[in-house]
Amino acid sequence: MDAALIGQGLLSGLLFGGVYSLMAVGLTLIFGVMRVVNFAHGDMMVWGMYLAWMLATRLGVDPYAGFVLCAGGLFVVGFVVQRTLVDRIVDAPHEMQILLMLGVALVLENAALVAFGPDPQRVRSALTASTLWLGPIFVDVGRLVTFGLAVLLTGALYLFLARTPLGRSVRAAADNPYGALVIGTDVRRVYAVAFGIGAACVGAAGALVSPILPFQPAGGLSLSVASFNIVIIGGMGSLLGAFVGGLLVSVAESMGAVFLAPSMKELVSFSLLIAILLFRPAGLFGKGSA
Amino acid sequence: MSERNDPKTLHRRTFLRTAGAVAGTVALGFPAVLRAQAPTVKIGVIHGVTGPLAEPGQACRLGAQMAAEAINAAGGIKSLGGAKLELLLGDTQSKPDVARTEAERLINAGAQLLQGPFSSGDAAAMVPVVQQRRVPFLIDIAAADPITANVAKAVREGQQKVQYVYRNFPTGTMFGQLAVRYFNAIFEEAGVSPKRVVLMYANDLFGQSQSRGFQAAHKAAKPGWDIVEVIPWPEPPSDLSTEVSRAKAARPDIIAPITRPASAQLLLPELAKQRVDIMGVVGPGSPGLYEAGQIAVLKEHLEYVMDSVPWPNFKNPRTRAVADEYAKRSGGKTFDTNSGYSYDGMLVIADALERAKSTDPDVVVDAIKKTRFTGHLMVSAGPVVFNEIGDNPNASTALIQILGQKPVVVWPKEAAQQKAVFPRPKR
Repeated sequence: MDAALIGQGLLSGLLFGGVYSLMAVGLTLIFGVMRVVNFAHGDMMVWGMYLAWMLATRLGVDPYAGFVLCAGGLFVVGFVVQRTLVDRIVDAPHEMQILLMLGVALVLENAALVAFGPDPQRVRSALTASTLWLGPIFVDVGRLVTFGLAVLLTGALYLFLARTPLGRSVRAAADNPYGALVIGTDVRRVYAVAFGIGAACVGAAGALVSPILPFQPAGGLSLSVASFNIVIIGGMGSLLGAFVGGLLVSVAESMGAVFLAPSMKELVSFSLLIAILLFRPAGLFGKGSA
Repeated sequence: MSERNDPKTLHRRTFLRTAGAVAGTVALGFPAVLRAQAPTVKIGVIHGVTGPLAEPGQACRLGAQMAAEAINAAGGIKSLGGAKLELLLGDTQSKPDVARTEAERLINAGAQLLQGPFSSGDAAAMVPVVQQRRVPFLIDIAAADPITANVAKAVREGQQKVQYVYRNFPTGTMFGQLAVRYFNAIFEEAGVSPKRVVLMYANDLFGQSQSRGFQAAHKAAKPGWDIVEVIPWPEPPSDLSTEVSRAKAARPDIIAPITRPASAQLLLPELAKQRVDIMGVVGPGSPGLYEAGQIAVLKEHLEYVMDSVPWPNFKNPRTRAVADEYAKRSGGKTFDTNSGYSYDGMLVIADALERAKSTDPDVVVDAIKKTRFTGHLMVSAGPVVFNEIGDNPNASTALIQILGQKPVVVWPKEAAQQKAVFPRPKR
């Protein structure tokens, strides 16, 4: 096996992992706070991609700048979805939550199909066409920037949760909603904000990945499944887990494409999932046992 | 809570009941009126118009609808008293299980024939239903060989009595043979002899069948070039950078991709980014490399890309007229492989009904078997006929190349609009 090919696979996997991490961070935040699995997560990401596409094609905004607007847009979507729908089923059994979120996913997917048509799209950015060469190994500048921004955003989210009063309320509501309520936290508002932030993360991830990956309305489900997989590997509700899990899954898939038939690369990430469920059911960074 | 019990509020259940009653009245009432007006033949047209393969699925549906409208406008099926074709539309969502239930649903709704779908996986799932329910089924696109071959085998071995499944589209095997022939012709015309071809394909039923057909044809023809590496990817793919690195490591002269629209959008920019130094990209029969939407998104990445695909015969004035109307109704899309073959499919069905003078499934099947239809719009090697497997051996492809951001036929010579640019200019 060619050493350059292995190095290339490692690097490509690591850089692409930034996107995986960012989408999983959004999902794990929502789950960690509300114990609701957002199955519309991938479809929200697809909407983030389309927002970036509209900004780029209509207003000429590069997605590497436009991602801020996409995150803002998706924050509003997440906030409204939480207030109007999710808030009603926060205490309902999981199967009801899943049905509702799958319903939201269907609506988002088909709304995108009506609005944008079925053709796969891709956003053009000057950055994605440029590459750096380290000897035989190439670095995709678009992916490098995406990776850097994903790390920054995850760091910012961590600081927000750890250092700001609102972030502390979010953590309080996650740890013990009743206790938070008793000491005067507006738990409903905190839930809506947390859902909004989760959606904003995935909106930013969508915008940042839109110059790298083609997207179409039907792409949401596989993104939801990928995020869910990562979050379970990293540990449900753990930010660090989601971040490391994203990198791990991406590198594992990339190595799978190097050493196995590339069509089997997903086998690697799902085998990883099974191994985690068997030997460490709470995930790599999960607290306590499941 | 009190609001929910307020009688003035429109309750969800009340709303659903009312809406259901209205919908029921509409659904039950109107067909009765229509039935009284003229005899109709109900044709279930099933394509994946949502889901990952929605783009080609919608093209297929529009092609079939336009053909049915043209047939009805010309007086319907004359041997059945001018019966009009009534299309019952189904959506596979590009999922085989849904394809199966959609076939069941439309047959229960009275479909007397079925036409469709684009995806081979969907078609394979529909076959058991039509065989069991005895409904003639014309496959207008799905190319994987086993779809018809398995039924033909079951009939030959006496496990089933009648074959209800026919296909007017080249099979994976035929695609492979034509592609190897075109590869050789193009290399010879250019006076070059590439040695190393890397085959990359979407690992679904269609991609597997296409790649097997191509490799088998290559083995049989023993040309002067080798397939040095075969790289499948899961479809839809999330990322193809490592796959492309692997292709590059095989030092290819030619990349032969079998893509879907989304994977083509990943693959081609990645080949450019990683500076894979090749003479050209030549698809042995691949969607995603020529559609107007793909050209708009991929732009220069598609320039000089070649593909061996079924293509409308634009030397036929009728094809040009249909293509103009298609462009108007589809928002500017090209009348191409998918819309074209679905259009032809409906014409073939109408021809069979005309000769059958009946909608009895076995009589219709007999008429389909005796088809010798010359009114088709696609490039082909002769009239539409069906062999013992139920495939049309005259279905053919043309080698097209994207030149000046337009698909142009470059081979076979008699259909060529321009000479191929090969090897492609260095960037």
